[in-house]
Amino acid sequence: MDGSTARWRVWWPVVATLIVVVLLGYPLALLFGLPLARRDMLDLRKWIKETVEAQAPLVPAGATLHYNAAPAAGALIWRQALIGRAQVDPGTERVPVPNGFDAPVTIGPPFERLGPVLFRGATPLAADEAGTAIYTAGRLQMQGSVLALERPDGQATRYTFGNAGGPVFIDVRPLEEGTDYLVDGDVVVFAEAPPFGSQIRRVSSDYAVVDGSSGLVLFASPPEGNVVLAESAVRLAEVLAGEADGTNLRFRFARANILDGDGRRRVFVEDRLLNPVAERAEERVDGDRATFTFESDAGIVAVDGVPSTEGRDFSRSGRRVTFAQPPPRNARLRQHPDYILVDPEGGEILVAAAPTAGELVWTDRYTFYAEPSCGNTLIACFFALPQHPVPFPHWIAERVGPFFGKFALTDERNVVRATLYTTLGTLSALVLGGAIGILLAVVFVLLRPIERALLPWVIASQTVPIIALVPVLLLVLGNFGITIQTSLLPTAIIGGYITFFPVVVGTVKGLRSVDPLALDLMRSYAASSAQVFVKVRFPAAVPFFFTSLKLGTAAALVGALVAETESNNRRGLGFQILGQVQSGNVADVWILLIISGILGIGLVALIGLLERLLAPWRRRA
Amino acid sequence: MTDTQPDAPSDAAAPAVIDIEGLSMVYRGRSQETVALKDANLTVRAGEFISLIGPSGCGKTTLLRLVADLIQPSSGHIQVAGKTPREARLERAYGYVFQAPVLYDWRTVISNVMLPLEIMGIERQRRRERAADLLTMVGLEDFQRQYPWQLSGGMQQRVSIARALAFDPKLLLMDEPFGALDEITREAMNLELLRIWQETGKTVVFVTHSIPEAVFLSTRIVVMTPRPGKIERVVEVDLPYPRDERTRESERFFELATHVRETLRETH
Repeated sequence: MDGSTARWRVWWPVVATLIVVVLLGYPLALLFGLPLARRDMLDLRKWIKETVEAQAPLVPAGATLHYNAAPAAGALIWRQALIGRAQVDPGTERVPVPNGFDAPVTIGPPFERLGPVLFRGATPLAADEAGTAIYTAGRLQMQGSVLALERPDGQATRYTFGNAGGPVFIDVRPLEEGTDYLVDGDVVVFAEAPPFGSQIRRVSSDYAVVDGSSGLVLFASPPEGNVVLAESAVRLAEVLAGEADGTNLRFRFARANILDGDGRRRVFVEDRLLNPVAERAEERVDGDRATFTFESDAGIVAVDGVPSTEGRDFSRSGRRVTFAQPPPRNARLRQHPDYILVDPEGGEILVAAAPTAGELVWTDRYTFYAEPSCGNTLIACFFALPQHPVPFPHWIAERVGPFFGKFALTDERNVVRATLYTTLGTLSALVLGGAIGILLAVVFVLLRPIERALLPWVIASQTVPIIALVPVLLLVLGNFGITIQTSLLPTAIIGGYITFFPVVVGTVKGLRSVDPLALDLMRSYAASSAQVFVKVRFPAAVPFFFTSLKLGTAAALVGALVAETESNNRRGLGFQILGQVQSGNVADVWILLIISGILGIGLVALIGLLERLLAPWRRRA
Repeated sequence: MTDTQPDAPSDAAAPAVIDIEGLSMVYRGRSQETVALKDANLTVRAGEFISLIGPSGCGKTTLLRLVADLIQPSSGHIQVAGKTPREARLERAYGYVFQAPVLYDWRTVISNVMLPLEIMGIERQRRRERAADLLTMVGLEDFQRQYPWQLSGGMQQRVSIARALAFDPKLLLMDEPFGALDEITREAMNLELLRIWQETGKTVVFVTHSIPEAVFLSTRIVVMTPRPGKIERVVEVDLPYPRDERTRESERFFELATHVRETLRETH
């Protein structure tokens, strides 16, 4: 009982430190992993791509639409205003709409016109944005309204709205401009103060639902044609942003942003499908030729994907195109009859012929970035990281078993075997470095001129970068016919090269550390200088020697690992570490790092044990 | 008072163990010379217990080191047992005890005592017996296998004395051996030393700062003065042997101590 208590008293700081280090691993793992997770989340190339097959946006009033797959029986089908993932909401009996479906879908009867901008539908409407889909003249209208910035207190009559310009309504009561309120920019002045606690809203988009239960809808501006409600979900085709004003050639899809590599995409102008296939020139592009012949006599001529300008870059004569400057040899010369992707990732196209004003440019089949493949939250992406620079400690712990059991003990790639091999290498390095160190130290102490001559070189030897020295050594050994890939020599020599230095310095200090009185005493005994060396100087230097050898051990281990790595010695720990780093098994690399750390501690402890055996007088109670 | 001239033999019958004539020692520093000892004359007869006393820097230790051939004099002659100090050293004619025990950390108590015998080339069995005898003499027979750090300061110094006696030298040179000990241990060690001296009949030259110690131990006290260090006077101590605790309390002891103290004060 007493013994175990005493042992605990010695070990608890070590154990406590270990626990702290392990616990510290968790915040560290997050600290290093979250930026990577964030990068993964933001990198569009790592998003899940989803292809949409959509309905043409040109839905005439009262038209019947046909889809590919039937929705679940009994489900209320609603119209999605925006492409995206619909939410399942059993409470309101609204269902998500899968990609395309085939069911007879009706467009409801036209809304009753109550005023220039006020309409009433036949059926109740949901007040939320995704719940309704209203068309006028076959075009989807966007719903949106904003609250006044001030809270009504029953007295104030002036209210401000940000980012809205439509008519105003209070609660479920639509108001009329001119009689109920006046508009002055963002400020609305009411004829009578809105009641305390009421909600003052202003239409910010195409329309707003004023009263869902009675189907009351307020438009921002008087709509054209009939206002109808789509009673079924329709996947909207993506309409290009950019005004078809008769001259504009550039259009950008807001969501259909992956046009490149999307072979199934279809782009329309009104009901006309645009031809995506580019024509090749009949002639080879050899760098000299300037005139080329294409299949058709119109279209966008592009060199390496960059559209050329007619009149400036080239001139056309029927199917023949003549360049002012011959295109470079092997350039990709194409003629796009209808359109070209100018920004494939951004979803921008350049159309050959400008659509007339009012025409709609759209795509009904396209791919877009749906969501990050790692997940929708940062923490999900953290857990989905393929490798963590700092894994959670328990992840490392979980890998220990499989990692050690991966190869049989007879296999060269077994970790235990590799560890033993490196231990052997380091021990030979210590023996070599220790022996050379002691020898040099004795020579230095006995012959001062030699010390003066050699010490600068000994110091200089340690400033030579090991990483540069190893290849030279390997070359030399290789020339002597040693197979460096399987030899322990590089390890021993490099480790020894590192170890000898602290041993020389420490042992010289030790040999010189003798009490002058102890030397006087030996003189009074008429001892020979050999006796002084053996009986006084050597024993006095022993503790110094071991201390310096311990210092050298850690460095020798590093040297051994470097030597193993550089000599491609598959048997050692160094090669294992390199291998795991290259194959990206971060947790395994961590295990190997911990093993090398423990190996270092073990070797130093071994030297300490040796010291106890060889210098028992140092043992203190 | 029977003060004598420094070179006057006190007991002409006994042979001279140390004979010093006109001995001077000058340390040459980088910028200045320090006269550590000037024109010292002293004769030590066999069996005497001589104390060298004086303030710091009066050349006590220098004198002892010159006799031991640990340093060489600038001028003058020394004879140790009729030979030069070097010959005497090579013949291991003296044992030396320093102020510090100077034990070798890596050797046990007994092998510390055996070290001089090892160097002499005495065979293993004999040197072990001799060392054991010496340790018994200093009362440390139970501590043979301990390492020096396990012993108290007084015990360490006793090991050091045992070691100095290892090859049975006629002459024992002691340089403030009890200087670092507390008063109580010191008095015990004094008694111990007196006993050993009487048992073995060695000649002892003993350097000390302590007047009572010098008076209690010595047959003669050599009073030295500093700057330059020289031998001022020699005081004969006529306290009867065997001396013990009561001797310290006797009237004669006080008279002698006072006399030495006054001499030191005069010459200072």
